[in-house]
Amino acid sequence: MARMKFLADAERCIECNGCVTACKQEHDIPWGVNRRRVVTLNDGMPGEKSISVACMHCSDAPCMAVCPVDVFYKTSEGIVLHDKDLCIGCGYCFYACPFGAPQFPQDGAFGLRGKMDKCTFCAGGPEPDFSEAEFRKYGRNRIAEGKLPACAEMCSTKALLGGDGDVIADIYRSRAITRGRGSEVWGWGTAYGRPEKKPAAQPPGAKS
Amino acid sequence: MRLTTTCTIALAAGLSLLAAGCGERPKVTVYKQGQYQGKPDTRPWDNDPPKDPSIVAWQKGDKASWEKSIKARTLGQNEYVRIEGASNK
Amino acid sequence: MRGMSQRKRFVRLLVAALAICLPQLAVAASEGQKQQAERQLTQPLNNAPVWRDVRAGEGNPYQTTQVRGIETNVLIQSEGEIWREIRNGPVTVYGGLFVLIIASIIGLFHWLRGPIKLRERPTGRWVKRFTDWERLVHWSTAISFLVLAVSGLVILFGKYIVLPVFGGSVFGYAVFSWLAAISKNLHNFVGPLFIVCASAMFVTYVKDNLWRSYDFRWLGNSGGMLWGEHVPSGKFNAGEKVWFWFGLFLLSIVLAVTGLILDFPNFGQGRATMQLVNVVHAIAAVIYMGVAMGHIYMGTVGVEGTYDSMRISGGDGSVDETWAKEHHEYWYKEVIASRGREAAPTGAAAQPQH
Repeated sequence: MARMKFLADAERCIECNGCVTACKQEHDIPWGVNRRRVVTLNDGMPGEKSISVACMHCSDAPCMAVCPVDVFYKTSEGIVLHDKDLCIGCGYCFYACPFGAPQFPQDGAFGLRGKMDKCTFCAGGPEPDFSEAEFRKYGRNRIAEGKLPACAEMCSTKALLGGDGDVIADIYRSRAITRGRGSEVWGWGTAYGRPEKKPAAQPPGAKS
Repeated sequence: MRLTTTCTIALAAGLSLLAAGCGERPKVTVYKQGQYQGKPDTRPWDNDPPKDPSIVAWQKGDKASWEKSIKARTLGQNEYVRIEGASNK
Repeated sequence: MRGMSQRKRFVRLLVAALAICLPQLAVAASEGQKQQAERQLTQPLNNAPVWRDVRAGEGNPYQTTQVRGIETNVLIQSEGEIWREIRNGPVTVYGGLFVLIIASIIGLFHWLRGPIKLRERPTGRWVKRFTDWERLVHWSTAISFLVLAVSGLVILFGKYIVLPVFGGSVFGYAVFSWLAAISKNLHNFVGPLFIVCASAMFVTYVKDNLWRSYDFRWLGNSGGMLWGEHVPSGKFNAGEKVWFWFGLFLLSIVLAVTGLILDFPNFGQGRATMQLVNVVHAIAAVIYMGVAMGHIYMGTVGVEGTYDSMRISGGDGSVDETWAKEHHEYWYKEVIASRGREAAPTGAAAQPQH
């Protein structure tokens, strides 16, 4: 019961854009379309952090909800895929997506945008797996080859993790424990508010 | 008179069709754990495993064995394990 | 030499502007960091200020990316979810209900009150109401409006109404996708055409649609539509004038402006603009369709003899004198008076070839 997810570790990302390049080369993506990008926060300031972002394969995906022709579908692994043959290029998925994941080959006058393109978690599309048509429209189908997304597998610092949510969460947790910090990405501090007493530096090995 | 009746019937039919659409709930697909929702597509485990030493081969058509293979692959991203494995040998 | 000094002045101005702006930008960017530092003292591990910064995105010069494009340096935009809630929620549900309710009211009116018939027999004498140009402008506007309305309905409601009709099969999806693609492209190309037609329509019809004092009386009696009393009006009655000013003028402007913004994404509009404009466009369009249904009903089956004035085939834009007298008495009197002045020999306008 795998549920595929991406996890970007901001502590490790060095903004090398290797994931962006790996994605582009793996799927032979044309100019102007970027399925993945790296955003740097507080660039050039103390506490600079970079995060790689693409389609996050939402459980309740806004793109699916607003699409007027219902091109999207979800695999049993939670990967959000779409059928390019049905896409009319209205751009609504781009307006709705929190991560700016849907991309269009053009931004033409009269709303001529072409077919939407986005991260497929390297799982191709509805065409037969490994077919020429599937590669041309969606890129390589690595999931059907028993592999993981190229961006995550190519990441030199392993900042970007991809795969079953439970497994990558375990990997990340062991990392956070080793580091002694990093549990804040789970948002527990926000969820549980002001602590009763100020915790000192976390003892190594404590469950965060 | 004939025309009016026809028009009324057509209008009523059109309205009822439209009204039927109104009862339709907004179509939002929320992911259900492990459930396939959508268009016909080949499942990953219905393919032959590639002859690649880096991949744990799975049984064609067996979802569980494919998931085991993918899990092994995912764990490969944990370099702590990799280093441990190297030092153990 | 002069250009040189100008450029120097410009550079000096630029430096001055930067000197004023930069520290402020730095303050703006570090504000979030300061808040974050404070938050860490009171609530350790609480990253809310950072995430608030992340969502602010676009204007932040310290949030960067190598990827070029619209708002690529924005990590998360939450407004999309609000837009989705509004579009898939009230706009679709109440918009659909609104169209249905207006259609039902018209149906009910037709069923209870019936079409408004002429009280006296037609005279057989015809009065010219609309010239060829006026009818041409009307029908080009009307046809482009209908194309936009139908294609717009397919885009907004098609997923809920048309797609289920085709069924969830691969073939059904493909057919609906074709329909939607045709609708989208028709909508995007006919839209600008409609703006041209509606502008021509405004210029052509505005002089007869200026508001007169007797129009209030017409509105007060709802044009005699319900109780059947006779209310005189000019060439256009107050109902038609409301349709002209509220529909053709106001709603067309709203739809034209929002439509052009949506239709030309090549000017790099941000997502926030598109979301807002899309909602305004949809609401205005639904209202426009509702009012247009009333206009179409009154112009065709709702009032006997009205359609004659707009006929393209089988007529030349003339109406029967009885119709003119009963529905637009002031205009009828004006026409008769001008006819007397011109001393038209036959006393009748050209006969339509019925």
